[in-house]
Amino acid sequence: MFDFTTVSTWFHSLLTGVMPEWLAIGIECLIVLLFIIILYATLAIILIYAERKICAFFQCRIGPNRVGKWGVLQVFADVLKMLTKEIIKMRQSDRLLHDMAPYFVLVASFLTFSCIPWNKGLEILDFNVGAFFFISVSGIGVIGILLAGWASHSKYPMIGAMRSGAQLISYELSIGMTMLVVILLNGSMQLSEIVQQQADYGWNIVRGHVPAVLAFLIYLVAGNAECNRGPFDLPEAESELTAGYHTEYSGMHFGFFYLAEYLNLFICGAMAATIFLGGWAPFYIQGADGFNSVMAAIPGFVWFFAKAFFVVFLLMWIRWTFPRLRIDQLLTLEWKYLMPLSMINIVLMALVVCFGLTIN
Amino acid sequence: MAQTVLFIIIAAIILISGILAVTTKHIMRAATYLIFVLFGTAGLYFLMGYTFLGSVQVMVYAGGVVVLYIFALMLTGQHDNDEKVPAATIKKAAALIASLGGAALMLFIFISHKFATTVLTAPSEQLTSVKTLGTQLVASDKYGFLLPFEAVSILLLACIIGGLVIARKR
Amino acid sequence: MEKRNYFSGVGHALKSLTIGLKTSIKVFFEHDETEQYPENRKTLHFSDRNRFCLEMIHNERNEHHCVACGLCQMACPNGSIHVYSEMVETPDGKKKRQLVKYEYNLGQCMFCNLCVRACPHDAIRFNQDFENAVFDKSKLIMQLNHPGSHLEEKPKPAPAPRPAAPAQPAAQSAAAPAKPAVAPAKPVAQATEAKADAAQPKAASTASPAQAVKPAAETPSVKPASEAASPASEDINKES
Repeated sequence: MFDFTTVSTWFHSLLTGVMPEWLAIGIECLIVLLFIIILYATLAIILIYAERKICAFFQCRIGPNRVGKWGVLQVFADVLKMLTKEIIKMRQSDRLLHDMAPYFVLVASFLTFSCIPWNKGLEILDFNVGAFFFISVSGIGVIGILLAGWASHSKYPMIGAMRSGAQLISYELSIGMTMLVVILLNGSMQLSEIVQQQADYGWNIVRGHVPAVLAFLIYLVAGNAECNRGPFDLPEAESELTAGYHTEYSGMHFGFFYLAEYLNLFICGAMAATIFLGGWAPFYIQGADGFNSVMAAIPGFVWFFAKAFFVVFLLMWIRWTFPRLRIDQLLTLEWKYLMPLSMINIVLMALVVCFGLTIN
Repeated sequence: MAQTVLFIIIAAIILISGILAVTTKHIMRAATYLIFVLFGTAGLYFLMGYTFLGSVQVMVYAGGVVVLYIFALMLTGQHDNDEKVPAATIKKAAALIASLGGAALMLFIFISHKFATTVLTAPSEQLTSVKTLGTQLVASDKYGFLLPFEAVSILLLACIIGGLVIARKR
Repeated sequence: MEKRNYFSGVGHALKSLTIGLKTSIKVFFEHDETEQYPENRKTLHFSDRNRFCLEMIHNERNEHHCVACGLCQMACPNGSIHVYSEMVETPDGKKKRQLVKYEYNLGQCMFCNLCVRACPHDAIRFNQDFENAVFDKSKLIMQLNHPGSHLEEKPKPAPAPRPAAPAQPAAQSAAAPAKPAVAPAKPVAQATEAKADAAQPKAASTASPAQAVKPAAETPSVKPASEAASPASEDINKES
């Protein structure tokens, strides 16, 4: 498997050969920043297009097909429109907080985005507490949503923000607990280490069998809720709250919410791929060497994106199938069903690890 | 060098947001500035290499406590139109004593520990790894934290039961 | 809904969720139902019962059935039909009313089909031309008889009123059973119409009297119906 660190160390030595180290590090930081932003924007465009198409197919429609071949330029047109729209100012709103709120959501999304291991050796933020850091920074988004709801000085955003707050805080527990299951299995919080172990011993969802599959299912449900997506999209339930917490936003400020929403979907899928489906680790079958060598020839980031988009598809499938829940049903699902189940699941996984019942 | 520059930036953020948090008239803005103070603190932890502590800071304070504040403020209604009531003399005196006491404590710590002359260096990640922290947290030996850990769990259990008792249907 | 206990509730929920997911993934791979309108003009199909625009039936010899009786004009609740007719002398010395201009205002029409039902000779029908959008309101006023068209000559010199039911075209027969109360009244109406046809003074009063005496020389200045209708479809083509 190709290790990206060879490239990064080569580049670092190339830079330090001609300039002092602090400048080299500064330039590298800028490049990484640029990489994150470009990837973020590209993924957002791909995801919005994919969502519209997949949603259309689930509803027996065709979806965007007028702008460009198969409507591929539709999203670009939408982005242009969004960029040129006026950002409205409202009299009664708290301008400072109103303008600040989208950035909270965006920053949370960026930080979680940076935690994802794209390839072997290609991680941007890689702590020994990576998974924990991921969960903690994803919580910043709630603040943005709550502030957006408050600062808009309007009823719909307020109700949407309250719902969103209750929902995100509740489902964060399930996300955290399913991640704990994986951490138990791998004995590490470092995301690169978790993926490396899966490359060595097989994907977590296979290796951890029953508890891991359970955790994966819980993660899918809780992830959908964390992304504010249907059937848990009541913070922005358009039929009752027009657009929920971002009703009063226009132009690019709304665009930031939109962007973060779709990127959160991808991050959710990417994290599921990382912790359950082996991240960049290729698909191996024990003993079939010819098959394995073919699989290993496919670059890691291709594997990663394939898995991430597979999970994204699963999430979209769920979204476009089920009707929206009521707020009490939503909280009941989390606190009475998912939470106890994930707690039992942790104990189950602890037993599996303790008695060495893992596959491999 | 880089450490010092970053420290100065983070310290400036903390100080400015802290001052803004206590001087602003809107309570929601005060809560928002408080978030920046807490983020700054988390940044200091990261700067010192205590990534776990930094993550905890972000999760518990920024993601938990402040969200709780904001929730509570949203539920308790509009505070912007409150009449400004002149503070009573006894309150002023209490505030003065508290600030003086705090300043004296800070000064004492600064002078006795000579922070200004100590160079800031990041400890290795191994020293503060989660494994060490986790083992220490449930260790029962001389420097283990099992007793405080259990005490805190009992406290939290008591809180949960108390909440249930208050909120239960009669 | 029956009350389930906790665990059977979970089982039931999982089962029903799986059914939902299965259904939606089946739909995902199914053929799309979307009609891609401007491209599929050739294959676009409407139900026969769709009523888009009134037209006068002309055969290949440019002949129509309209005897300019004006019953459609009377039947129209919106006043969107105006029949202009004139009196001519036939070679055998009889006086006969002849259609000059059949004016139809699409903008006022509410497609109730009453005119088609009122017509004793099945001279008009609703067609399937749906691209009726225009930029000018005056284009909605159309002349339905083609330029130079005339009444179809029957083999019999004097066309006797036919019974209603067998003569109804397919489009009308679909609507006819829905209104059984009207159907029996029809032969009566036709009978009176036939009488009116013979006794001309009464019929002349029904078709607006001022226009009825206008000379036939004015006919060429009237916009041909085909020209009035065609810009509408061209506009749509340009827009798409």
